[in-house]
Amino acid sequence: MVKKIPIGPFHPILEEPEFFELHVDGERVVGIDITIGWSHRGIELLSEHKTWDQVPFLVERICGICSCSHPYAYVKAVEDLCGVEVPLRAQFIRCIAAELERLHSHLLWTGLAGHFLGYNTVFMWTWRFREPVLDVLEAVTGNRNHYAVMKPGGVRRDIPQEEIPNILKMLGDLEKNNDLLTKAIVDDPVIHARTKGVGVFNKAQCRLYGALGPTARSAGYDIDARRDHPMDAYDKVKFDVILCEHGDVFDKAVVRQLENFESIKIIRQCLKLLEDTKPGDICAEIHEVPPGEGLGVYEAPRGEVLHYVRSNGGNMPMRHKVRAPSFNNILTNELSVLGNTVADAGLITAAVDPCYSCTERMGVVDLRDGSRRTLTEADLVRLSHEKTEEIRKRIAADRGNG
Amino acid sequence: MEREEVKKRIAAKFGAKVKIEERSPRRVYVYAENEIWTDLARFLFDDLDARFDTGAAVDDRDGVEVMFFFPFDREHYYVTIKTFAAKPNPTLNSISPIIPGAKWIEREMFEMYEVNFRNHPDLRPVLRADTRPADFYPAKREVKDSHETVRERDDGETRADETAGRAPKGKNP
Repeated sequence: MVKKIPIGPFHPILEEPEFFELHVDGERVVGIDITIGWSHRGIELLSEHKTWDQVPFLVERICGICSCSHPYAYVKAVEDLCGVEVPLRAQFIRCIAAELERLHSHLLWTGLAGHFLGYNTVFMWTWRFREPVLDVLEAVTGNRNHYAVMKPGGVRRDIPQEEIPNILKMLGDLEKNNDLLTKAIVDDPVIHARTKGVGVFNKAQCRLYGALGPTARSAGYDIDARRDHPMDAYDKVKFDVILCEHGDVFDKAVVRQLENFESIKIIRQCLKLLEDTKPGDICAEIHEVPPGEGLGVYEAPRGEVLHYVRSNGGNMPMRHKVRAPSFNNILTNELSVLGNTVADAGLITAAVDPCYSCTERMGVVDLRDGSRRTLTEADLVRLSHEKTEEIRKRIAADRGNG
Repeated sequence: MEREEVKKRIAAKFGAKVKIEERSPRRVYVYAENEIWTDLARFLFDDLDARFDTGAAVDDRDGVEVMFFFPFDREHYYVTIKTFAAKPNPTLNSISPIIPGAKWIEREMFEMYEVNFRNHPDLRPVLRADTRPADFYPAKREVKDSHETVRERDDGETRADETAGRAPKGKNP
């Protein structure tokens, strides 16, 4: 007998609106219907009423965590349309800001995943490690989020020379902390038992569904817009694209943790190369935007962000299309939750690091007798904690017996 | 696959039914007739091994321009395929049966621009609120035009001042 379990309209882990209707047979998920659009704000239409220079302020508000990535893809689209060459110093500053954003985004996700699994120590450590990254962003851009760095033609603010030692110190500390965190995750048998083989989305499915970012790379689908469609300073620095092969929740976590090391590597190289550029030379003037169309992509922490703009020669976009990575990645839940348990469903749907948020409640509909019960966010998290605890006890007992 | 090779193979397969334009070394645009729309998408995705990214629509008053983006990652360029769905009933064949990742973006184009995708497995609105009227397509040019007109007529002088950037009259709410 198939039951229907609605999760939403707020996700249990990420506090943002979405709605999943899980179709379950006992504890096993056999189908899912996903509804998005609960916080549709009409950004694309609003953008058509802003000047080319105002739009970055609007699009950085699409997402607090990706508030560098959206403006980055947008300015690349405008520059594609105008054929502008960005000054070298601005290219490095863009990469530094964007990689700092990736660091804090990945750390945020790891903390939330830890909380959901019942590892509140991981949650607290991770968020403590994340704080200095936000401090550096504040020192460099003026804000912890919504950095207002990007501008068509360059960046709005230079990085003062005296800030560089602070950034390097933070990177050194973070590298050690991230190493500690990565080992803790990779070596923990309970995390293995709880996340390995859970929510698998394989490489062939990634291609069919257009999966992006860590969701795709965790399954060995080798795509990264920073390398594949190199923009600004990314072809001037060396970094590796992190790949795993199983496409489960564990590999998604590992990809993010290892990507933090690559981001640290990129920022260090950019800071070094920044020394050879002229302070203050941070923006190329764009006097007018010609009629035509431009396409800009950037690898946000969650995957590739795409912005498409069309101009009729006026001072505002005539059309502005935004595609956030979650739009493609959330759809992958259609397959990745199948065959898993209800206790894992919240974790799987959060493993793509969706940019909507999290489920405050979940209703269970029993089709047999028409009864309906509602589970709160706390119930969902409790369900997940109980499963972790059960596994923890089992592993401890096995060790005792051994 | 290299850009020149891709252009040559598309031209050889579809002949006069496509027009290929290269704007820069990283951007190739292919304008296609409606009838070969799904064949072109399938050719790029299956035969030429392009990655599917997403789609977009632009209302052009006489119809809706629909486009899909297919990046060739190893060679660092994008192929954008475009077609024009004429009004009053813009209709195209869906590419979702070939590429499931296109399901949501086609649903979005349907609910925003009223583009009817034939053979789509589930052509329901994906973003809009349940309370919005079923026949309301917010991104259509006609809707935008009527919206602006109604707003000025209903709200009178005060609203006109406000939209022109002047402070509204009366008490500050």
